Amino acid sequence: MSTVPFARTGRRRAGHRPGQPAPTWTSVSGRRPPAPAAVLRTSLLVAASLLAVAPVLWIAVSSFKPLPQLLGDPLSLPSSLSLANYRGGFQQFDFLTYFRNSAIVTVAATLLTLALSATAGYGLAKYNFRGRNGLFVLVLATIMIPIQVILVPIFQVVVDLHLVNSLLGLIIPPAATPTGVFLMRQAFLSIPDELIEAARVDGAGEFRTFWRIVLPNARASLAVLAIISVGWRWNDFIWPLIIAQSPGVYTLPVALGLLTSQQAVPYNFILAMVVASMIPVIVIFLFLQRHVIRGIAMTGLK
Amino acid sequence: MATVDLGVGRVTPSRRSRSSGRRGGRRRVPRVAPYLFVLPNMLAVGLFAIWPAVNGFRESFFHVIEGQPSRFAGLANYRQLVTDAQFWAAVRSTLEFVVGFVALTVVLATAAALLLQSQRRAKGLFRAALYVPVLISPVVVGILWNWILNPTSGVLDALLHRVGLGQPSWLVEPHLAMGSAIFVELWATLGFYTLIVLGGLQSIDPSLYEAARVDGASSWDEIWRITLPSLRPTLLVVVILSTITGFQAFEFIYTLTGGGPLGATTLIVQYIYDHAFVPPINFGLATAASVLLFLVLFAITLVNLAIGRRKGAA
Repeated sequence: MSTVPFARTGRRRAGHRPGQPAPTWTSVSGRRPPAPAAVLRTSLLVAASLLAVAPVLWIAVSSFKPLPQLLGDPLSLPSSLSLANYRGGFQQFDFLTYFRNSAIVTVAATLLTLALSATAGYGLAKYNFRGRNGLFVLVLATIMIPIQVILVPIFQVVVDLHLVNSLLGLIIPPAATPTGVFLMRQAFLSIPDELIEAARVDGAGEFRTFWRIVLPNARASLAVLAIISVGWRWNDFIWPLIIAQSPGVYTLPVALGLLTSQQAVPYNFILAMVVASMIPVIVIFLFLQRHVIRGIAMTGLK
Repeated sequence: MATVDLGVGRVTPSRRSRSSGRRGGRRRVPRVAPYLFVLPNMLAVGLFAIWPAVNGFRESFFHVIEGQPSRFAGLANYRQLVTDAQFWAAVRSTLEFVVGFVALTVVLATAAALLLQSQRRAKGLFRAALYVPVLISPVVVGILWNWILNPTSGVLDALLHRVGLGQPSWLVEPHLAMGSAIFVELWATLGFYTLIVLGGLQSIDPSLYEAARVDGASSWDEIWRITLPSLRPTLLVVVILSTITGFQAFEFIYTLTGGGPLGATTLIVQYIYDHAFVPPINFGLATAASVLLFLVLFAITLVNLAIGRRKGAA
């Protein structure tokens, strides 16, 4: 068993230490056959991966089945790869509206989160001012009041602001997140003060320094925060469920949740829309996997 | 997130004055700018987090029933809460759910991370595969598993029937439904906790293992004597995060079982939601339950901080 802690895929191939078993065994050069422990380990990982992925693949395959086959013969493969379920879902049940609402809310709320977190993180990281530590502790304290705990009073605030049943009501309240402020503050702390001083000496104003000099140096953290935020907002349910009260402002999760529980839409259309709703997040993950994993290391463990 | 390094005072005044002094002291000290930078976020935090939290606490002592002016109620909401059999049923279900979910999360995430850590071939592929369920929205997770566990048109019972193992009513029998809910939440979140444990594994000092090997330790010895003790802080984070996640569970249950059968999977957040947003509406009762939920989460955080501090002092 290797205990070399490798962080990157590139290093492990080169990182063969003397005195340890050879790292690969499929070559024909007469190396040892795989140890039983390695076979068991790989089998367990294959089984776990299948358990994780198979339900998702199976719903994707089944989303092409016509309704009678879907209900009557769960184990069968689709008889044809017809897009009828997708067409039906989009044309008969307004899923295009829900998709559009989800996209608008996700993009706008993420931009707002980036703006609020970056400015606050910079203020808290790079200035000394009266009340700074108090404000930072206050922001961190809100980690302990998740939306489930303040569902009722936060709803009342949004009622008073006349934002119920509007996309703005879905975008603004969740945008200020302690995770975002914390992440951006950490990023700015690692930017040298001298860089900021130099910009000031050159006569740049405070905001210009922030926008032109500081922010570009924090691109990596901004990317991590953007990815986290997109995942949150695209998948949000409980908040949109209480704010969106008419179909015109439903997001995808709200529409799927309500339509499923009311059994108002044929199941084949639901499955097709479920699969369509998963695609954007999975595509983003496949392209940005490294950032996602780094994000967990930064927010989960810090 | 659980053990936060405040890093207060990292930008020390002496460092600042030294660097400005070097440049001849020409620089003015910005006085207004810092407040302008933090203002937008603090406005949002105040309006959508601090104020609702304070107001929710206040309202838990008022009768707030839709269509009526609110009036002071003293502890009446709390009294009504502790005499409500549904509330205690929700508390019991929540505890069952949290204990089962957290215990299995710790064991399975550690096992999966150990497997991944020592795997050489296709490690990235396995890691990505385990993470796929984490990407899926809770609502969709519920729909997906409701569909798979359905007794008539579901895949699982069709498979079991074909191999002659009967067709259990996963979501109809109360105990099976709770077990299914725990399994589904594990399925949906395990990839995330596995990555956290994997991060912890990778930060263990390799020289510990070399020393153990010199002493002739076996792989099992290494896991029990070095890996697990070194992982303790990481596993603590996993316990805290998964406990909080468990107490907040609602969304996937809404589409998996709807809280049924017969309320067997109605957890505390759904109890709050039902009283706040499903007629007959009783905001006061819902906020009282919210305050109790907050106190539980707060206590968990305090315990975490205490353990973290003891560890830091040792």
